[in-house]
Amino acid sequence: MITSGIEEKTFVLNLGPQHPSTHGVLRVLLEMDGEYITAAEPVIGYGHRAHEHMAENRNYQQFLPNMGRVDYLHALAFNQGYCMAVEKLLGLEVPERAEYIRVITNELNRLTSHLLWFGAYLMDLGAFTPFLYCFDDREHILDLLDSLTGSRLTYCFYRFGGVPKDIDDDFISGTRAFIHRLRSRWADYDNLVTKNVIFIHRTKGVGLFTKEQCQLYGITGPSLRGSGIPYDIRKSEPYSAYPQFHFEIPIGENGDIYDRYIVRLREMEQSCRIIEQALNKLPKGPIMAEKVPKRIKPPEGEVYTAVETARGEFGIYIVSQGDVKPYRIKLRVPSFANLSLMVESFKDNLVADVVAILGSIDVVIPEIDR
Amino acid sequence: MDVLTHSLGSEGVRMIVGLIGVIALVSVNALFLIWMERKVAAHMQLRPGPMEVGPHGAIQTVCDAVKLMGKELITPEEVDKPIYYLAPIVVFLPVLLTFLVIPFSQTMVIKDLNVGIILILAFSSLSVLAILMAGWSSKNKYSVFGAIRSVAQNIAYEIPLLITVMSVILMVGSFKLTDIVVAQSRYWFILVQPLAFILYIICATAETNRTPFDLPEAESELVAGFHTEYSGMRFALFFLAEYTNMFIVSAVATVLFLGGWHGPILPGAIWFLLKVYALIFLIMWFRWTFPRVRFDQLVTFAWKILIPLSFVNLLLTALALKIF
Amino acid sequence: MLSESIPQALSPLNLEKVAPGDYAKTGYHLEVTATPEQMPAVAQALLKEGCFLESLTAVHTSREAFTLVYHFANFYELCRTAVHAVLPDGAEAPTISHVFPGADWYEREVYDLYGIKFAGHPNLKRLLLPEDADIHPLRKEFPAEAEAKAEAPK
Repeated sequence: MITSGIEEKTFVLNLGPQHPSTHGVLRVLLEMDGEYITAAEPVIGYGHRAHEHMAENRNYQQFLPNMGRVDYLHALAFNQGYCMAVEKLLGLEVPERAEYIRVITNELNRLTSHLLWFGAYLMDLGAFTPFLYCFDDREHILDLLDSLTGSRLTYCFYRFGGVPKDIDDDFISGTRAFIHRLRSRWADYDNLVTKNVIFIHRTKGVGLFTKEQCQLYGITGPSLRGSGIPYDIRKSEPYSAYPQFHFEIPIGENGDIYDRYIVRLREMEQSCRIIEQALNKLPKGPIMAEKVPKRIKPPEGEVYTAVETARGEFGIYIVSQGDVKPYRIKLRVPSFANLSLMVESFKDNLVADVVAILGSIDVVIPEIDR
Repeated sequence: MDVLTHSLGSEGVRMIVGLIGVIALVSVNALFLIWMERKVAAHMQLRPGPMEVGPHGAIQTVCDAVKLMGKELITPEEVDKPIYYLAPIVVFLPVLLTFLVIPFSQTMVIKDLNVGIILILAFSSLSVLAILMAGWSSKNKYSVFGAIRSVAQNIAYEIPLLITVMSVILMVGSFKLTDIVVAQSRYWFILVQPLAFILYIICATAETNRTPFDLPEAESELVAGFHTEYSGMRFALFFLAEYTNMFIVSAVATVLFLGGWHGPILPGAIWFLLKVYALIFLIMWFRWTFPRVRFDQLVTFAWKILIPLSFVNLLLTALALKIF
Repeated sequence: MLSESIPQALSPLNLEKVAPGDYAKTGYHLEVTATPEQMPAVAQALLKEGCFLESLTAVHTSREAFTLVYHFANFYELCRTAVHAVLPDGAEAPTISHVFPGADWYEREVYDLYGIKFAGHPNLKRLLLPEDADIHPLRKEFPAEAEAKAEAPK
């Protein structure tokens, strides 16, 4: 913990809240001995919007748009988690086709998130060009999702019991074309970044997360899989239509930031696989459950559902007291736990590594602040 | 003209005309280089770059320069004022002076000193002093970081740079830049000194603080490094110095390794500039492809790899000269 | 099977309730009820079983009491354990941050939003709200948006 405590040999560096590579408004107080860090203390909450308090004061439908704004990079996963929780409370069955559409859009959204991470991460490491390469790719997905959902970033697309709009042939052919294009780009990414000597030296052996640490801190997502634990909610607690697709969970070996990079890069390919299978097997049928009540008033009880976002496990805990408003909603966001361990791993690293580690776990600060 | 010649002597007139020429060249060159960097970066990043002002955005940088001149010069309250004001000037003047000895062609050289190469190396290492002044006086931790890094980096990379240059000097036996170029009339020294050329380019990239060695101003770590607190024209001077420095290290490389003004058909000066801009393109190419190295790696690389290698190269050169 | 070994590991603690949960309805495989004082021991037992702390939160159930809700899960086997612990208003709950360091921030968040103190916590400061805030907004007596607006001086 850093108080005013400036000892003789050290000084305090205030990283953020406005700093080019804190990915939002994160502030970290670093106690430094030259370029080395002796202690780190994050200060969060600059983007606190009281989502959980809002949830208690509006009804179930009114809270839906909030979900796109918690994690703005993978909004659809949050949509999914919330809808699943409420559907569970109501006992609603979602039609098959709607589940497929959810999976397709969700994985597209995961791709946008990973592509943005890829660019921003390399920018943190001082390479600017990959940023524009992947934004070029990302733009195609944003256009696709825009045509379907009407928004580019903070989607509010799923409804209790299904999805409001069916996908058409244009969307399907556009998605296929995009997957084809993205696959042709992997070689570019590898040549530009993965095989780069400087990149490898910057990332190998830095920012290690051990398996024990992951368990103690509750790390989830690619940051956990980089440490070699194959925990992915899409496989371990299958939801939606995911059990019907073949895909692998890429894992790393050492748990350094290079492994986390590789895991994310491979995950993008897996997302492509899922989307392709979903498009091939897309069933016909309704996209909304038949008996969705006009007034959402779930019976008394509580529910916890978890989905896999681009950053890890998003869990939503709803307590209902049989009212139109939820009694309590708790959002368990992945970056919250991930950041708390990351701060531990700052110690005895260089200030340049802080930026690299911060980029490697792909934090979204508004998600932590809620 | 006669009056001028009479009162100053022909040498004096030559100096004044030369100086005016240099100042013009420095500004036009910087404007061109910034435009070039934008275009190079853009095309490497699959985008067109500036297109609006002038053909292919050629006048864009002129507009930016005008904008920078019109900007308010903000002086933060806590800064050490004299040093803070002086730093941009200190960074810029030595850069200007090095043009004195650069031979654009056989005759286009303002003052062909017999210690030309030493003068260039001496003056260009002054820029680190300016960076230290800027960083230290800004009263900003990020600036101080930038300044400290810059000093460590420049000391580390100056040594292999000098030793590499020495191996070329050994072959010519003169510090005079024109002599070095004349000695390459049969073949370019890059053919006999390929290792020296590679070492020189690496060190030059580090000396000019360009990616992958741009640690003093690493924007993702240090916001803007040593010039975080500078604005307007003062910032522009740092910017100008950076691009002019790039020109100078490339010009020296051209003189030492690429045969200076030698080349068929076209006039010497054109050949010289072509070679210089080709080298600058190379340095820009580095910037837009590589990530940044970490600070400890940077210093280790200089002390453990570059310096021994440059010594080996120097010894080999001496040995070869002794034998043949 | 964790759904068998966890109840076994918890049995020496004499907890109020250790029962299988209705997964289809609640998402829990095991439902446990404990007192806040038993929580460090429960956490220790679950840590030994290889579980990690998924989330920690509180619910302001009535005027007099809170319920602390702990969710545990496992990386290798699907078994979510929900532990409920009723805490009277004003009482302190012992921290589990020495067992799961990840609980450090969750407990700070609960303190921040509910004003529940965790005894033995190394750094119990506000997390999301400013350090000088004097509100605990998730308590039920805290006014909602619309009410707060109506009360605010014009």
